[in-house]
Amino acid sequence: MPPELATSVERDGRAAVVRLEGDLVVPTARALYTQLQDIARRRDVRSIVIDFARVGRIDSSGVAAVSLVGQQAKRSGRTLELRELGEHHRAAFAMSPRKVEEPPAEPPPTSFEALGDSMIATWDGAKALTSIVKDTTYQGVLVAGRRKQLPAGSVASQLFEMGFNGLFIVSLLAFLIGMTMGFQGVTQLERFGAGVFVADMLGLSMVRELAPLMTAIIITGRTGAAIAAELGTMKVRSEIDALATMGIDPNRFLILPRLLAITIAGPALTLIAMFVGMLGGMLVTSLALDLPAIAYWGRIAESVTLGDFAHGLIKAVLFSWIIAISGSHFGMRATGDPSSVGHATTRTVVVSVLSIILVDAAFATITTIAGGGP
Amino acid sequence: MSTLLECRDLVCGYDKPLLQDVNLTVGAHEIVVLLGGSGCGKSTLLRTITGLLPPLSGQVLVFGESLYDLAPEERNQLLRRTGTAFQQDALFGSMSVGENIALPLRELTKLPQSMIKEMVRMKLGLVGLGGFESRLPTQLSGGQRKRAALARATILDPQLVFCDEPSAGLDPVVAASIDETLVQFRDTLGITLVVVTHVIESVRAIADRAVVLAGGRVCAAGTIAELEASTAPEVYGFFHRVPVAPHATPTTRTITRGIT
Ligand SMILES: Nc1ncnc2c1ncn2[C@@H]1O[C@H](COP(=O)(O)OP(=O)(O)OP(=O)(O)O)[C@@H](O)[C@H]1O
Ligand SMILES: [Mg+2]
Repeated sequence: MPPELATSVERDGRAAVVRLEGDLVVPTARALYTQLQDIARRRDVRSIVIDFARVGRIDSSGVAAVSLVGQQAKRSGRTLELRELGEHHRAAFAMSPRKVEEPPAEPPPTSFEALGDSMIATWDGAKALTSIVKDTTYQGVLVAGRRKQLPAGSVASQLFEMGFNGLFIVSLLAFLIGMTMGFQGVTQLERFGAGVFVADMLGLSMVRELAPLMTAIIITGRTGAAIAAELGTMKVRSEIDALATMGIDPNRFLILPRLLAITIAGPALTLIAMFVGMLGGMLVTSLALDLPAIAYWGRIAESVTLGDFAHGLIKAVLFSWIIAISGSHFGMRATGDPSSVGHATTRTVVVSVLSIILVDAAFATITTIAGGGP
Repeated sequence: MSTLLECRDLVCGYDKPLLQDVNLTVGAHEIVVLLGGSGCGKSTLLRTITGLLPPLSGQVLVFGESLYDLAPEERNQLLRRTGTAFQQDALFGSMSVGENIALPLRELTKLPQSMIKEMVRMKLGLVGLGGFESRLPTQLSGGQRKRAALARATILDPQLVFCDEPSAGLDPVVAASIDETLVQFRDTLGITLVVVTHVIESVRAIADRAVVLAGGRVCAAGTIAELEASTAPEVYGFFHRVPVAPHATPTTRTITRGIT
């Protein structure tokens, strides 16, 4: 049987006498609280009396309801009296502290201070980023000079995870985008009778723009997020501290292998995406235009130069570094609680994609101005 | 007796000072226990001593060298002669127990694989985890993880080992066996240990000396016999398990600062 609480209110001059019958527990406390609040708000009530004679059990929700009403009454100059309290009612009320010493609250920061705080945070972040780049480069130099070693097998296993395991999704996307571009090109250029130029357009845009950009975005989602999550989890579980106290540099042990692996995997995947993308385009053109495969690849070989490949691959390297460094940076800055790992991955993805697109735009602008033409 | 660790006028904390005027020395072949209420800054002090958290002021000398004045590579060299077992075990989740313990050997020595394996096997036996090499840390109980962490911290046979609450939250039998291992480390391997604990039975079982932290500073230090006899409220409270000392009214300042 669910606990029940019946109330009856009697007026005695300016006093309201509330008689309770039943249990004052979680299922009944809320209704009582609302009722008592209403009474305590009435103009003609100066004092409230609660009669506990027929109250059975009382739990902390009951105590809370009564003491909140008491506080409210006190603020508005009314009085609250508890009558006929049994032994265990008294014990329950005695558990609630008379007055809780609240630690002095820090004054909320003024907007000026908040601005300062966020500037300090940004500055700290920038410093941390610089030191990660600097320390990892330094460790890289040590490793290159054979003064230090990378953990055995670390680059290979990272390379497998980043490169080989990403191969399918990158190829699939490149193929589909190549096909889409092919359809677009065919319908647009056919109207001018320039259908064969689809091959030129596809080759150039795949190699210079689409493959690097699209691959980078997939790597951000797969690898950048994974780096942030892995390092963040290790940070939160004090594994990074453990490395540091062993005298093992976390930059060399954790970041450098990932950076090296992504420097190989990023451009390799991009190169594959370039060709698979053109393959997707070929499928469409050969069906829609009756352009033989030989002719298609011949046109591409004529229009796409090695310089274009270099352009695409250099961007792929830059994008890969952006991804690895932001993943490491945000992962290493995770603190304390598990939710900070989630923040680290989100930030990595957002910041990487944004920086990649910015760098891409800057690259396009510079190469155009420098006279290379698009 | 040579000094392995020394703190000079150390102030440590995160943004604000948490502990001030910390002066302590740890000599060779002794077990020094850091005592203090929950949240008083024991782990923070340990982080500062192990090179993880730069002090706000003062110096930490490890083997006579000022830890935070060294170049990173020299500091790493120094840290390799110490071992640290964390309050959270901090085992690498992606590696098996054996790989975890072998890691310092693999990374910092040029020992052959077969020797590394043998050393790991011996060390695991010493902490009572013989045959657990291939388990993942998640497949161990809390107490087993703590012991694995202890094995990892001591795998290079460091001269100085730091343990943060090695026996907290364990049943009395396992806790006693960890205590026994620590004493064994001191007696047979000659390791010096700095141990954080608030299990008073452990303190009695292992400590040569204890340092009591309260109210944001070192409030007492000495041998266990000396501290047992002390009537200073913070010390008495610890050794006799009373909320407040019976004879001696501590200032409210020390109480509140002790528990915040
Ligand atoms: N990363 C941090 N940033 C800011 N304050 C922290 C941080 N870590 C701990 N603190 C605070 O520093 C104080 C001391 O923490 P510490 O971990 O040193 O306590 P402790 O003495 O080891 O306690 P316990 O016995 O419970 O482990 C606590 O009040 C804690 O809230
Ligand atoms: Mg602690």
